[in-house]
Amino acid sequence: MEAVLSRNFSAPDPADLALYQSGGGYAGLRRAITMSPAEIIDEVEKSGLRGCGGAGFPTGLKWRLRGLDAPEPRYLVCNLDETEPGSIKDRALLFGAPHHIIEGMLIAAHALGVRYAVIFVRGEYAAGARVLEKALQRARAAGLLRLPDGELRLDIHISLGRYICGEDSAILNAIEGKRANPRKKPPHISQQGLWQQPTTVNNAESIAHLPGILAQGADWFRALGVNGGVGSKLYSVCGPARRPGVFELPMGTTAAEILFEHAGGLQEGRRLRGVLPGGSSTPFLLPEHFDTPMHFDAVAKVGSRLGTGGFILLDDQQCPVDFLVATTRFFARESCGFCTPCREGLPYVRWLLERIEAGTGALEDIETLRALGGQIAPNSFCALAPGALMPVLSGLHAFNDDFLAHVRLGHCPYQEGRS
Amino acid sequence: MSSPTSIADLQDDALVARLRALVAESLVPAAAISEVLQVLQSARGYIDDVALRAAAELTGLSPMKVEELCTFYSLVLREPTGRHVLRICDSIACHMAGAQNILNQARMHSGVALGAVSSSGQLTVIPHVCIGLCDRAPALLVDGEALGPVDHESLTQLLAQLEADIWKPS
Repeated sequence: MEAVLSRNFSAPDPADLALYQSGGGYAGLRRAITMSPAEIIDEVEKSGLRGCGGAGFPTGLKWRLRGLDAPEPRYLVCNLDETEPGSIKDRALLFGAPHHIIEGMLIAAHALGVRYAVIFVRGEYAAGARVLEKALQRARAAGLLRLPDGELRLDIHISLGRYICGEDSAILNAIEGKRANPRKKPPHISQQGLWQQPTTVNNAESIAHLPGILAQGADWFRALGVNGGVGSKLYSVCGPARRPGVFELPMGTTAAEILFEHAGGLQEGRRLRGVLPGGSSTPFLLPEHFDTPMHFDAVAKVGSRLGTGGFILLDDQQCPVDFLVATTRFFARESCGFCTPCREGLPYVRWLLERIEAGTGALEDIETLRALGGQIAPNSFCALAPGALMPVLSGLHAFNDDFLAHVRLGHCPYQEGRS
Repeated sequence: MSSPTSIADLQDDALVARLRALVAESLVPAAAISEVLQVLQSARGYIDDVALRAAAELTGLSPMKVEELCTFYSLVLREPTGRHVLRICDSIACHMAGAQNILNQARMHSGVALGAVSSSGQLTVIPHVCIGLCDRAPALLVDGEALGPVDHESLTQLLAQLEADIWKPS
């Protein structure tokens, strides 16, 4: 497959405007401004593009549901707050495809009738925001921000930190200068978002796909996918692989191909026991399902989630209980603290896992963990806690013997023979 | 709580002018708070009480609201740090790649608790959430610049360079 999003990833200066234009850059915008908003939304809907932040909601439909006649002013936010452990694709876009993001924002702004848009970049990526800023200055100087209805004001917001900022209403509170707690829905942000005005929030990868879709058409985009997937996708692999990294591949590439061909399989002497396929808030995908095409529907069918497409590998030298201690520690720390089940529940889950890992856990602790899964997730305010529990609950099921061994032995079997 | 002289207390006209310009450019004054805090922190090392009151006055937020933001957002520092801040990722990919050893080594070197200022005044070590370098684990941020993978040897070198103020991002 031709490199679309990743074509300038290894260029000396991916913010170079001439370089981007020589590869067809800003042709999508040129076409878009000759089209009506409704025509652009049609094209994006036909392309089958789905939200790459993890939820997979159809991008064109999201735009259509906001309504072409939504009250003005309307706002647009690009979510580049990637903080999910194991997810590194938006970082690659920020450093390697800044013009894709800017052109995509211009296309989306025209389609949505937006005059003010924000690219929200996590503070840990400040160095990448400087690359984006450089690209933005060049685009602005070249007059590219002038849309038919006037010049787009496009700001880069560098966040002050916290995973919860990636939630699509919390991000708006962060931009407004408030604590980034998620908001109660309804009203949906498409009706009352930033400063209570109609707002659209799209993930950076979704935005970066727009230039290609507009330049080459929905059919071209659909044909990039394989095995029932549409478009291309930035998958990533981390953990004990030979070649961890980010790979742009046809959406629908099987897990086995991503893991064993592109990431080179596992390091010498290791055996893969499972993966979290879409960042650390997705359920385990086990080897018997590695032939699954990695697109939203196929992954859901086998009980996991495509999420961000960021694979985290669990091999036979890594204790699964210890693995889950680390994933849960992240979510317990990053809970925004607004609702009790998440604020109090996740530290309790982490503590129980730590107890089991330390060899002081009891069989009841394993049952308590299972029960907590059913109590915390449905009673929490946003998707953070349910996401946190997905690897824990699926891990309890898939690696039950390991949990039992910790309790029976009174220590972690993976620590035997280690200093 | 906010005194009429709080902005002047910053005693830095160029800084104040820059902050006022940020607020003026913002669609709504309160929305400038993130940038105001970033600029103040970069100028003063951390958000001390003077900076906090100035940020409040500039953006029209109450000092209590700004305090709420400072305690919520993890990249805002409300206490002094060493000249260099090491944020060491302890999330899953780095955890599996030995982040705990890296964190321990840096903490032992600093000789003080996590978050405290080392006796040399050069270093503060803070554990941090995933920094998006999962393919280069274990990773860390040195004064905001990403670095990875790091091992015992490269960290020893890095710490020595930070002590001598000769570290530069590659």
